Amino acid sequence: MNAPDRFELFLLPDGVEKVTVSPDQRMPNAAFIKFEREDHTLGNMLVKQLQQDPRVLYAAYKVEHPLFANFVMRVQTEDGYTPRDALKNACQTLIVQLKIISRKFKEGYSVMSMLE
Amino acid sequence: MAEPEVTVRKAGKDNVDVVLENMDLSLVNSMRRVFLSEIPTVAIDLVEVEANTSVLADEFLSHRLGLIPLDSSLANELEYTRDCDCEIYCDKCSVVLTLNAVCNTDSTLDVYSSDINVAVPARSDDSIGRPIQSSTDERGILIARLRKNQELRVKCIAKKGIAKEHAKWSPCSGIAFEYDPWNKLKHTDLWYEVDADKEWPKSKNCDYEEPPNLHDKFDYNAVPRKFYMNVETTGQLKPDVVFERGIHVLETKLAEIALALSKAEEETDW
Repeated sequence: MNAPDRFELFLLPDGVEKVTVSPDQRMPNAAFIKFEREDHTLGNMLVKQLQQDPRVLYAAYKVEHPLFANFVMRVQTEDGYTPRDALKNACQTLIVQLKIISRKFKEGYSVMSMLE
Repeated sequence: MAEPEVTVRKAGKDNVDVVLENMDLSLVNSMRRVFLSEIPTVAIDLVEVEANTSVLADEFLSHRLGLIPLDSSLANELEYTRDCDCEIYCDKCSVVLTLNAVCNTDSTLDVYSSDINVAVPARSDDSIGRPIQSSTDERGILIARLRKNQELRVKCIAKKGIAKEHAKWSPCSGIAFEYDPWNKLKHTDLWYEVDADKEWPKSKNCDYEEPPNLHDKFDYNAVPRKFYMNVETTGQLKPDVVFERGIHVLETKLAEIALALSKAEEETDW
């Protein structure tokens, strides 16, 4: 049949960039960032983290078409701060949080499995 | 925001119950999504049917075989076939399993997942690809029933994959997920005949949070901060392994984005 292969959801084809940053022509310090082969798992997490950043004025994402495994994020920041830096910081913060969660889970789990 | 807190409430054989605090709903939801669909496991992907005189059609049987949970604790040692140098499959990217059964008696013969054997346990540890045995049922999962003179001779090739491609690769059979059991945030609109409080059963997680005070005003700035998650596995991976590998997958995803951003920065002056 003509159904697309399932692996197209997560396998980045040759010659396709994972992220493409293009500036918003209408205003400064704003950019559209296209994420290839990613979905709400990454999009929602990143956008919510960006919105915690006081120097980020606007952050949102959309999955333009359900059949295509990509989403577009728009980020607008204050002067002297770029959307790209904001995104990198968001990634960093989330990684740090995940590391803490992972560590605390291991501790809690080893205690709990000894008890049971 | 305060540092994230994790409390393990129950550590069972195939499930783990955790309470996560001081983090964003979106982060916990992403963890849930990754546990369900992006942790690599091993499952039967190719089936070579040498003899099948049972009443089940080949494709029906292949589908059943694919869904059998196989031990994936060492899945990270395996390559993806698409990344491997071989053409169809080899030792580096697959595990070969065999199933041979003939019924010679007048009574029906039941073929169980415990009858599947790992053909070449060449790897350091032969646990990889072994069908999961639960302690309650030693024979495993019923695959087919054979009548007298019916035979099954099948070679199965198990490969590494993730559940985004096919649900058979999912290490989780289900994840219970809840926040705000008292519905203080009003994210849920409970349907009722007369009184929602009486008609809806209370969640057991209500014991972990303060009940709402009738005279309190609605706090429209409140956000969910405490999440209850129960990760139940199919046995392919232990629940704590699902948790750790899932978080690792998420970290890798984020690191990949950060790296791609730095790379794009070097190439453009923007």
